[in-house]
Amino acid sequence: MHNRRIVIAAAAAAVLLLLAGAVTPTRVLAQARVQRLDYRSRTLPNGLRVLSVEDHSSPTVAIQVWYKVGAKDDPQGRSGFAHLFEHMMFKSTRNMPSEMLDRLTEDVGGENNAYTGDDVTVYHEVVPSHYLETLLWAEGERMGSLNVSEATFASERDVVKEEFRQNYLTPPYGRMSLLLDQKSFAVHPYTRPGIGNIAELNAATLPHVQAFHRTFYRPDNATLVVVGDFDAKQLDTWVDKYLGRVPRPAAPLPRVTVKEPPRTRERRYVEYGANVPLPAVAITYLAPTKVSSDAFALSIADMILSGGESSRLYRKLVYEQQLAQEAYSYNDLREQAGLFVLRATLAGGKKPEQAERALMAELKRMQDSPISAAELNKARNQVLTGLLRERETNEGKAEALGEAAVLLNNAERVNTDIARLQAVTAADVQRVLRKYFGPGAKRVVIYYLPESSRPTATKKAQEAR
Amino acid sequence: MIAQLKALAALLLLAALPNAARAQEARETPPAPGAPRPVRFPKPVERTLPNGLRVIVIERPGTGLVSAQALIKTGGEADRNLPGLADMTATLLTRGTTTRSAPQIAEAIEALGGSLNSGARWDASTASVTTLASSVTPAMTIFADVVRRPAFQPAEIERLRTQTLDDLSIALRDPGTLAVYAAARVVFGDSPYGHPLGGTPESVKAIKRADITAFHRTHYRPQNALLVIGGDIKAEGAFNLARRLFEDWRGGDSPPVPVRGGGQASAKAKGRVVVIDKPDAEQAAIYVARPTIARTDPAYYSGLVANSVLGSGFSSRLNQEVRIKRGLSYGAGSSLGARRWAGLFVAESQSKNESAGEVAALLLSELGRLATEPIPGTEMTPRKATLTGSFARGLETTGGLVGQAASLALYGLNLNEINRFIPGVETVTAGDVQNFSRMHLGAEGANVDVVGNARLFLDDLSRRFPGLEVIPVAQLDLNRADLRRTGAKTLKKTAR
Repeated sequence: MHNRRIVIAAAAAAVLLLLAGAVTPTRVLAQARVQRLDYRSRTLPNGLRVLSVEDHSSPTVAIQVWYKVGAKDDPQGRSGFAHLFEHMMFKSTRNMPSEMLDRLTEDVGGENNAYTGDDVTVYHEVVPSHYLETLLWAEGERMGSLNVSEATFASERDVVKEEFRQNYLTPPYGRMSLLLDQKSFAVHPYTRPGIGNIAELNAATLPHVQAFHRTFYRPDNATLVVVGDFDAKQLDTWVDKYLGRVPRPAAPLPRVTVKEPPRTRERRYVEYGANVPLPAVAITYLAPTKVSSDAFALSIADMILSGGESSRLYRKLVYEQQLAQEAYSYNDLREQAGLFVLRATLAGGKKPEQAERALMAELKRMQDSPISAAELNKARNQVLTGLLRERETNEGKAEALGEAAVLLNNAERVNTDIARLQAVTAADVQRVLRKYFGPGAKRVVIYYLPESSRPTATKKAQEAR
Repeated sequence: MIAQLKALAALLLLAALPNAARAQEARETPPAPGAPRPVRFPKPVERTLPNGLRVIVIERPGTGLVSAQALIKTGGEADRNLPGLADMTATLLTRGTTTRSAPQIAEAIEALGGSLNSGARWDASTASVTTLASSVTPAMTIFADVVRRPAFQPAEIERLRTQTLDDLSIALRDPGTLAVYAAARVVFGDSPYGHPLGGTPESVKAIKRADITAFHRTHYRPQNALLVIGGDIKAEGAFNLARRLFEDWRGGDSPPVPVRGGGQASAKAKGRVVVIDKPDAEQAAIYVARPTIARTDPAYYSGLVANSVLGSGFSSRLNQEVRIKRGLSYGAGSSLGARRWAGLFVAESQSKNESAGEVAALLLSELGRLATEPIPGTEMTPRKATLTGSFARGLETTGGLVGQAASLALYGLNLNEINRFIPGVETVTAGDVQNFSRMHLGAEGANVDVVGNARLFLDDLSRRFPGLEVIPVAQLDLNRADLRRTGAKTLKKTAR
């Protein structure tokens, strides 16, 4: 399915590192050699950047095209458009009928998908390696042109509306994810959820599709990543042949320039959902951008708050106080602004105020006293295991490389971030916590409550409208 | 003949595309693929410890990771009148042993960078661990402790009970989840695969500590268990570790586990059409369900190919008809859940309430078509490739490899099926698929359940299915085969 996923946090990765982790009385644990991702980088005359890693361990190849356009680039009044457009990229081009991508992937034992993030749209395939040339041709095709018919456009837009209903309207807490973006950003386009809404999806037309392709789907706005079983010289020849021929337009690329200002005061929202059994609470803070050097310490802080059942939030709110059905934090750092989010769904019979107080107490505790050496070692080992799991597959490696190159602006970070994460100290963690969540930081607090708990006066006001 | 017609239709379709027709020059065709390269998977090796524990090891050097899974060959099908008992028992494994508290277990495993999980499924209860290869000994030591010596402390049981009730309160608000639970009841009735695996609010409240300890004593024993270790570890080292940690494991003192028959399809349930009316649902979940084969049935590969043609993968018939051609859903698909004694086949989709009837009819019509019309060769080849490719990708990770070996061993199948899967799929013919579909997947006798805002689709659906039953969600009782709440609020305990 062409699902939209949110691109989440830190890939990181590997130099040939020998890492010492947690120490037990008897031995040093967690020594792991992380293989360096030995990538090649080149840029074609038309501006397309190509990153590749030759790896013959399985007869497959992962191919990804990262376009630097995402939900924040949705046209005014047409939120959800970048994602809707992503669906169109599986339809016809000059030389491909609709869904031919599936013929060239799924039908030969491969797979394909795509996702639209806030800042990027990524098209990805894994195929048996003897289909590499075919897929490079296909990626060149859809970078070069789209020829979508009115009927196809209308039908696929209906699919996206069903996606919106299925992922955001039907599940009990789906709407709450929408509220997070809507309430957390004051002026930046990040305030518009990438899935859009029914009215603005209806406002999209076929000419908008062509214009969007012309504007953003161009070689100098794309990065091709290829990881797996291929010959490097052969790859270069095919890339030159099928992607080198896509022309680079003269028009400049439009970029979002709106700046999200610092928050001047705390804002609180209470919203109700018909299908919500237990109250939920979210607290957001503005956080730095994805490339900030503070991101490493924030990532370790998040791990200590939320990484597993020994994490502080699970241990306190879920296990000890039994206030919450679940409680967690995450860093949602984007290209132009970031959020740090604390969330809890309450246990039966508990009040949102209790969960809010408990979440804040944990955040304050991390500011008041440094994390322990044992917690820091644990976080380091968790980071390392996460990295090794990600690197098990060609697709995982390609994803990490694409993220480093496109979202972190430096492909080499695929190899160097792991050392930066491992070097974070307890003092670093305390410093970033105070900096971003200290007394001067302004929160957005959202309570998402069962419709049945709406005060009667409000209910009447609602009905009167 | 049909195959040719289909190919012709495809050509006409291409020609009908407006832009293709307008193109001045000939279309460029994609470059042909090169020569395929062989796929090989690691071969599992195994030994049985003197206490009867079967140990399986699969080496995959260089990943830096090791995964292990312990399977008890008994799961939710043994819940009897207490749905959720197997799952609660298995979940409690990591919530405290005779020497470690729940927080100590989490702390110790996560300090190593590892993760440890446990729970029940149909036919098995499992505990699994993934860790850095360099910390395999300490991680496996904790893993062995949770499998062998869970404490089932009353405070942990109460904590889990509360958590499970909260989880259920959320799950039972989701139309898709309700539809899955209803489908199982409609197909299996009161028999062992009929209830929700995680239990119902009533059963979760009724489970006592004595039920849990009895379940553990009866089923958790080396002769009824498997241990699979895989990843960046030498086979000898893994066997030695298994011996050290598990060779003095003895089962409980009760007699060996009796083999229980079960999972019989409910004879009364044929062709039942149930609507669960949930007025706040923004979409309807539409399920078509039938009993199907057991995992060890010789027709298993035919079944997988049939399911791949019908509803597995983006380009399967169901997704073509419901999503790609008509834009009625974000996706439609089917699954063949083959278990020890029987299986559950479901075809499903979610759509706006107004389209529920149309989608139900489409799902059924595709089931019918598969059972009655020959499948063109041009469709068989890609659908087999979809299946084998997805199988191969599933084995790319250590966890996937361990899971696959564990699943084969659970059903007493030859471990080298890992390497025979692809040829097994390749030998299936279109005739095999049609036979399978006629016997196991046809539209006739299939059950339908729809969960959604019935006001918006009931007129249409009643015209299509005159005998349908409507159950308001407040009246839904997942403890009962008829799904209807009676006057009594308490769980009806029936001896089987």
